[in-house]
Amino acid sequence: MDILFIEDDAIETMKLNRTVSKLQLKHNITEAKNGEEALNILKSGASLPDIILLDLNMPRMSGTEFLKILKEDDVLKYLPTIILTTSENRADLLECYKIGIAGYVIKPLKYEDYENKLKKVLEYWDTNELVKA
Amino acid sequence: MGPKSNLILSKMENKEVTLLKKALERQKKARLQAERILEEKSKELYDATNQLKESNERLENMLSEKTSELEGVFYNIIDPYIVMDIMGNILRMNGAAKELLGYDNNIEEINLMNLVHKDYVQYTQESFHKLYEVGELKNYKTKILDKDKNEKFIHVNSSIIYDKNRKPIAAQGVIRDITKEDEIEKLLAEKRKQLDIIVENSPLGIVLTVDDKIIRANNASVNLFGYTEQELKKLSLDKISMTCNNSTSIKEISNFEPSENQENYSLVKRFYKKDGSTFLAKTLISRVEQEKKQKGYQVAIIEDITEQRNLEEQKEQLLKELEASNKGLQEYAHIVSHDLKSPLRSISALSTWLLEDYASSLDENGVFQLKAMQEKVEAMDKLVDGILKYSTIKSDNLDNTKVDVNTVIKDIRDIIYIPDHVEVKTLNKLPTIFADKTKIHQLFQNIIGNAVVHIEEEKGLVSVSSKETPSHWEFSIKDNGVGIPKEYHEKIFKIFQSIGNKERSTGIGLSIVKKIIDLYDGEIWLDSEIGKGTTFSFTLKK
Repeated sequence: MDILFIEDDAIETMKLNRTVSKLQLKHNITEAKNGEEALNILKSGASLPDIILLDLNMPRMSGTEFLKILKEDDVLKYLPTIILTTSENRADLLECYKIGIAGYVIKPLKYEDYENKLKKVLEYWDTNELVKA
Repeated sequence: MGPKSNLILSKMENKEVTLLKKALERQKKARLQAERILEEKSKELYDATNQLKESNERLENMLSEKTSELEGVFYNIIDPYIVMDIMGNILRMNGAAKELLGYDNNIEEINLMNLVHKDYVQYTQESFHKLYEVGELKNYKTKILDKDKNEKFIHVNSSIIYDKNRKPIAAQGVIRDITKEDEIEKLLAEKRKQLDIIVENSPLGIVLTVDDKIIRANNASVNLFGYTEQELKKLSLDKISMTCNNSTSIKEISNFEPSENQENYSLVKRFYKKDGSTFLAKTLISRVEQEKKQKGYQVAIIEDITEQRNLEEQKEQLLKELEASNKGLQEYAHIVSHDLKSPLRSISALSTWLLEDYASSLDENGVFQLKAMQEKVEAMDKLVDGILKYSTIKSDNLDNTKVDVNTVIKDIRDIIYIPDHVEVKTLNKLPTIFADKTKIHQLFQNIIGNAVVHIEEEKGLVSVSSKETPSHWEFSIKDNGVGIPKEYHEKIFKIFQSIGNKERSTGIGLSIVKKIIDLYDGEIWLDSEIGKGTTFSFTLKK
């Protein structure tokens, strides 16, 4: 799968990369440090990702702001977007589902738990039929 | 005398006879005429006499009719009626008069002067003089004593009766018993006095107007406006208030049923004081229509609400600010919690990787330190979680539904860590209550979670039971754990007050419990004995 990973925290990025390589998953991860960077990548003409993993709390453009722009775009709105956040705020969760998301995953404290969760998420989406641009 | 003379004589004689005869004839005629006239006249006289007699009879009839009519009126007149001689002795009196005075002139002699109350004797004598001089007396009022010595207040209209030579012979009078009227008048005066006391002592400004002119203003309105009553009387309400249509504060509240001759409405109006300053007042205006041709009254009751309005506005402002700051605080709690949790996740991941990647280079002590670090990180994560939960328990985001507490306990058994030697059971069937499911879950989980990890007995037992009171549900959670020293019984419900020797306790669990119970108007208390166990009991409003 081609995964667009939008996350400002370097260690979070390390966590995902380590998980993918440790589980020997053959996923192609594109990193974006925030919403703006992600939009630039999506609009660069390069092939679109299969899924997007999106953090909520980011500088410059928050996750929800990015999500809104994405859902207003006639092409990009089809991309399944999974929220990956530490926010257990119910208001955030409701807002995201309202705009339109494919999942809401809370980052656990322990790395082992994180690995387990991410494994399931990636396996699930790998099983799915994807839009494929 | 010669024949000639005879002839002449005879001629003369003849002429004379003829004349005489004619005269006789005339005399006869005249007598006849006179007789005829006499006859006519005497007939007329006869007729006239007859007519006179007839009309006389008619008059007599009429007189007797009128007399009996008058008699009737006299006896049937509703008001007491009296005829007295000029000395004041009663000559005649009707039934009403007998009833009023208690005397009967047919039985005894009564002199009106003797009935007059001593306070009125002089006035009465003066009035009688006036009556004889002028011929009539109107609106004479006096107090009398009836036969039973009851004081009565009467009103008299009387006039003199004259004989044909215009000599006064008697006086007649119509009396009205105004004792009641007098009482009513006194009562009215009393009521008026009471009303005055109310009006003058009212904290509300009361202004009476006729034709827009102020005719009366009470003390409170004098104080309100800063004008004296005399000054106010030269003004109108319109002059000392802002015009209605340019004021936005006007709010008509027609909460009165409109009636035929009264109209009430209330509005909020701004008034001017004498010194030029203004005040806002709730004004109730009642229009009271008078009998026709009289001008209607308008009563304005003025209540200065400037301060009240200011306070209201202040309160509204404060509420808005509070709401905003509450919302801000909640947002803030989430942001802070996120910002604290993110680095914790990083530290946790990094320490795990250290253990994984450098396991061969680490000695036992290094591994222990890294694990200790991970435990601290975990404790801090819980603390952050707890603070967030505590700060977001608010009555305004409760989602109340039917919650089966039996299911809640079952769920908790599945979720929380329960040491093998401990059993959690329910002693009776727990109720289904109306509350926020998450909060109830949190409430039981925090108490049970505390209980199960503090049991040192070989066989631990945590039992949940409930009972119902008219207004509340009461739950008890009993354990056979280490017990809580008495001095901590209040402290444990305060935030960050941990008494556990377990390193992970944050001191937030029971303060969350307390906060949730407060939301449902309940109470929490505990019985505990060191080494024997603790029973937490709490109530929740139904």
